[in-house]
Amino acid sequence: MLMTNLNVVGKRVLRQDAYEKVVGGKGFPVNFSLPGMLHGKMLRSPYPHARILRIDTSRAEQLPGVKAVMTPKDVPQIPFNPIFFMPAGSMGIHRDMLILSDTVRFAGQPVAAVAATTVAIAEQALQLIDVEYEELLAVFDPEEAMKEGAPEIHVGVKNNIRDTPSFSAGDVEAGFKDADYIFEGTYETQRVHTCYMEPRVCVSDTDSNGHITIYSSIGHLFGLRERMAYVLGLPVSKVTAVQAPYVGGSFGSKIDFAYIEALSALLSAKTRKPVRFEHTRYEDFICNARHPMKVHLKTGIKKDGTFTARYASTLCDTSAYSTHGPEVILVHAYFGLMLGYRSPHMKWEGTVVFTNNMPGGAFRGYGAPQAAFAVESQIDEICDKLGFDPIEFRLKNTPRQGDPHPFNPEWKLNSYALDECLNKGAERMGWSQRAKTGSASGAKKRGIGMAAHPLWVSGCVGFPDIYEHSGAIIRLNVDGTAYLSSATMDIGSGQNTTLCQIAAEELGLAFDSVRMAPGNTDNLPFDAPTHASRVTYSSGNAVKVAAADAKKNLLEVAATVMEANVADLEVRDGMITVKGSPAQAMSVADVVKRAESPFMVIGAQGPAPTTLKEKGTIMGISSVAPPANASPAVAEFVEVEVDTETGQVKVLRAVYAHDLGRVVNPAAAEGQVEGGLQQGIGFALMEKMLFDPETGACLTSDFLDYKMPTAVEMPSKIECIFIESNEPTGPFGAKSLAEACLIVPAPAIANAIYNAIGVRIRSLPITPEKILAALGKL
Amino acid sequence: MALVKLKEFCIPESPGQVSACAAKYGDNALILGGGSFIHGLEARGLLSEVEALIDIRKLGLAGMAATGEGVRIGAMTTFAELEKLPELASAAWLGALKDALTYPPMQIKNVATVGGCIAASCPFFDIPTAFLALDAKLTVSGAGAKREIGLAELFAGLFENSLEPGELITEVRLAKPAGRAASAFIKLEGTANDLAIVNAAVRISVDAAGVCQEVRIALGGGVGDSVVRSASAEKLLLGQKLSADLIQHAAEAVGQDISPMEDHRATAAYRLAMAKVITRRALNQALSRLN
Amino acid sequence: MKQLISLEVNGDTHEIAVEADATLLSVLRDNLGLIGAKRGCDSGGCGCCTVHVDGKAVYSCMMYALSAQGQEIVTIEGLGTEGKLDPVQDTFVKEGAVQCGYCTCGMIMTAKQLLHDDPHPDEHAIRHGIAGNLCRCTGYHKIVEAIKTAADN
Repeated sequence: MLMTNLNVVGKRVLRQDAYEKVVGGKGFPVNFSLPGMLHGKMLRSPYPHARILRIDTSRAEQLPGVKAVMTPKDVPQIPFNPIFFMPAGSMGIHRDMLILSDTVRFAGQPVAAVAATTVAIAEQALQLIDVEYEELLAVFDPEEAMKEGAPEIHVGVKNNIRDTPSFSAGDVEAGFKDADYIFEGTYETQRVHTCYMEPRVCVSDTDSNGHITIYSSIGHLFGLRERMAYVLGLPVSKVTAVQAPYVGGSFGSKIDFAYIEALSALLSAKTRKPVRFEHTRYEDFICNARHPMKVHLKTGIKKDGTFTARYASTLCDTSAYSTHGPEVILVHAYFGLMLGYRSPHMKWEGTVVFTNNMPGGAFRGYGAPQAAFAVESQIDEICDKLGFDPIEFRLKNTPRQGDPHPFNPEWKLNSYALDECLNKGAERMGWSQRAKTGSASGAKKRGIGMAAHPLWVSGCVGFPDIYEHSGAIIRLNVDGTAYLSSATMDIGSGQNTTLCQIAAEELGLAFDSVRMAPGNTDNLPFDAPTHASRVTYSSGNAVKVAAADAKKNLLEVAATVMEANVADLEVRDGMITVKGSPAQAMSVADVVKRAESPFMVIGAQGPAPTTLKEKGTIMGISSVAPPANASPAVAEFVEVEVDTETGQVKVLRAVYAHDLGRVVNPAAAEGQVEGGLQQGIGFALMEKMLFDPETGACLTSDFLDYKMPTAVEMPSKIECIFIESNEPTGPFGAKSLAEACLIVPAPAIANAIYNAIGVRIRSLPITPEKILAALGKL
Repeated sequence: MALVKLKEFCIPESPGQVSACAAKYGDNALILGGGSFIHGLEARGLLSEVEALIDIRKLGLAGMAATGEGVRIGAMTTFAELEKLPELASAAWLGALKDALTYPPMQIKNVATVGGCIAASCPFFDIPTAFLALDAKLTVSGAGAKREIGLAELFAGLFENSLEPGELITEVRLAKPAGRAASAFIKLEGTANDLAIVNAAVRISVDAAGVCQEVRIALGGGVGDSVVRSASAEKLLLGQKLSADLIQHAAEAVGQDISPMEDHRATAAYRLAMAKVITRRALNQALSRLN
Repeated sequence: MKQLISLEVNGDTHEIAVEADATLLSVLRDNLGLIGAKRGCDSGGCGCCTVHVDGKAVYSCMMYALSAQGQEIVTIEGLGTEGKLDPVQDTFVKEGAVQCGYCTCGMIMTAKQLLHDDPHPDEHAIRHGIAGNLCRCTGYHKIVEAIKTAADN
């Protein structure tokens, strides 16, 4: 049963940080500075593949204001992988990056760094560094990279194939023999950028003992500490990562190490001054981006509309370095391609390939948007061809509530309401009135389409080596308020507000009585990165456990003071009462005051020693792993209008239905859906990073050339339907939301375009040119 | 916006001071209008030699006036100021300018100037296309005598204008055409904050019998190194009684006069196809204003 | 070489030595400590740096500080009175229009001019009015709603 007597959870409370952000937002990492701070800049390679023969920094070093110059020889040559959600030394990741290397593998890779008194001097110094390169042949197309004779990007990696993961269940060939129909298609997705608005920035300050303190925009405090220590060859206790109160967006990107963090620390150690780096927008663009993937999908169907076999293969361009490639392709395969729909026989084969392209990174959905575009497009093709209703077809082939979790049968789908998502979304959109494909008349044609994602994650739990646990500290104040501390980074979606709501609810305090108190890696318990739709569920669980611990301690003191049994006490709205006798009440503030008071209290009879056994701050702490991977389910319906003369597509309306277990903050939840749609429309229709085919240089390095939707391209109607299925393992029943909002829009839009004009585009973005070409007009 | 060779930032208060600064730096002096395209030029490597910026906002070149003969617009008039010209709301012949001014974002309209957007000689801008269809004449002044030139004479290639060092555009004049005239402008864009993929502006005069008395068709947005007129399309329409077929036919003819570019916004083939579509739409939009 | 200039910002006069090619944005942030205007792209593409110059919303990254002399500059820090938020700021908070918040100050400055020029804009006018400001978090939905609400109040 969903708890209905909640005071704070489920309420449209106002974000605490919004008041500060509308007057300037002084807490953004980009505003951080220290006295005497120097400014760092990186020299980047103009070549996509080269060996550095010689670097002469003498002219740069002589420029007044330049305090230090670094080249590969000044930097520990410790290979690392930048991803933060696995331990730096874990078996599961490939370590093939260096802070500065004498081999360049993508255009724009840093080859040297400068610290100077001003940014302008640092930039000028870069022009004075002479680098002699030996150019090597480069390859940008992953299929070309796998061919015999292609340039070798990493020594000993044959045909540039980094990994070839696969899995199989049943006998897929037998399954295809059983099929009445077989559908096959290839679906391609492009390299897109997260486009967080706040640039990556950091300030490192190294003290005379070599202890490094770093202030950064990174979305994982402990990952930053661990990776810094690893690449510099230091114990983790020599690094302190300080939490910013908020960060200007990440969408996955900022759970990685860039080059600037380690370089700022090294330059700081060398100069004995704090050193700051801030990326330009160009540097942000080439820092990391979503992996382009090519998915081949072959599906066997019976006349009754069930699957007999599902086969898929994925080619993933992991770029110049391994980074996320070997990991993102697994999430893509399990949670993107395969587990959402049942089939007796399944097989998947992946190929992760090196190219001389810029690094791949994490981006909201992590491999699933690429998969959903393939799967949900093909299901639409199947339903269209065989005359199945797309909603009934999906329901026939997806897991049901109570089923074992397809990823790990030890878990159960305790809460799972895909059926409600599909049915309620369809009803709101007017799905039953959908016109027949291609039946619209006139130059501008409208169509309706939908896509589902039957199974996503609340925390990315269950993969080997993944950091999962979260921790929190709650401290009660003498004024009856509480501080919540968590190493979770609020990257913009309002995690801090959500966590304060969970804490307030559990503690029995008003929402305004709980405040997030930022900390650092010296005084906070570990928390996994802000990624994988995990904060509400996983960090939320940890906060709830810490709050319950604090409440237990609070009530023990209260029981002593009030001469009652702990079991008889309850807290609501800051007041502690004895059940059944409301007259016996004491405020939380008074109880905390007593606990923190000196050994004497002033009573009616004058001063007297206290009798309390518990003295001091009332606190609660936790460090817990999430109990399961509580999967949310989602369906989105969109209406589009296609101008068949220009090929331009306008999304007119979206209805998004999502089983998130429990809505903690309706405004924040809607914000996730609305923002996800902006990124989804960009992914579906216009966004694409482009590179010079010869030099590999990024051609879309500012917002003049990288186009994302403005307010004009967004539909005025975005309707959210939140289904509260009450996940028993989640805090107050909550599961997750964030990533699914960007997984479903692209296939829903592609399917709506098909409904409008009867042509199927299997590669993103669906540009006007592709539409006109498909219509035979270009 | 680092200009590595910048030595001087001049804010002249008289034409003589402009000439003095220009004489000192020659081709390496850049006249600054609203400054909204500086980054665009810099990113294309076109400003690496700039040694002096000449900010001409104190020369009193802003302002506009409408008379029975037409409209005069000072070169430093911003798009936002120009949008307030009362005649834009009422005069069908100025429709192209009114349309073109709706596209730029507020922050651009507030600073971008009429003279600056022309002098930039950027083939992706919108206002120059509208001005070309409106047969704009420019007053140019410098160290030498004041001269009058047609807009097309100013364009000397991609991001190149025909101005001499120290010369600047001081005024744009639009003469009101004779007869029943209307104009319209349409931009095809990726987003509402983007340079044109293709744009088209037309001005057309039609007599009571529906015969085209005069027509100007201009195209921009990467259909060539500069904004261009389509003589072929104009010729097909001039002196003819207008019909849907003829308009379609004329719109198709613009392909003969443009040489579209291929870039990351669009292929040449798409630009060519779209030039035809939006020319037709712009013609129809202009004609609708005559009714 | 630096030049000494005088800028009027939020009613205060500041004498500052700046490089000739310093942008208004860099002077506001780096010299005057007015961090409400944000550096998002430094190329007039995102709108995070929007401030008012003589009552008009401009990209401060596209204006040279020297060109801003003699004009009244207002930044987000200049909105509101006596510790009270400006109604547009207040509405952005209450409508949930703030997520990561990096675009927020620029967006509010644009909204201020929009509402000044047209106190009752329709949705089309609002969406086009803020087209020069990018947001990656909100899908603009609650921003548009907030501007509508601010107009109604």
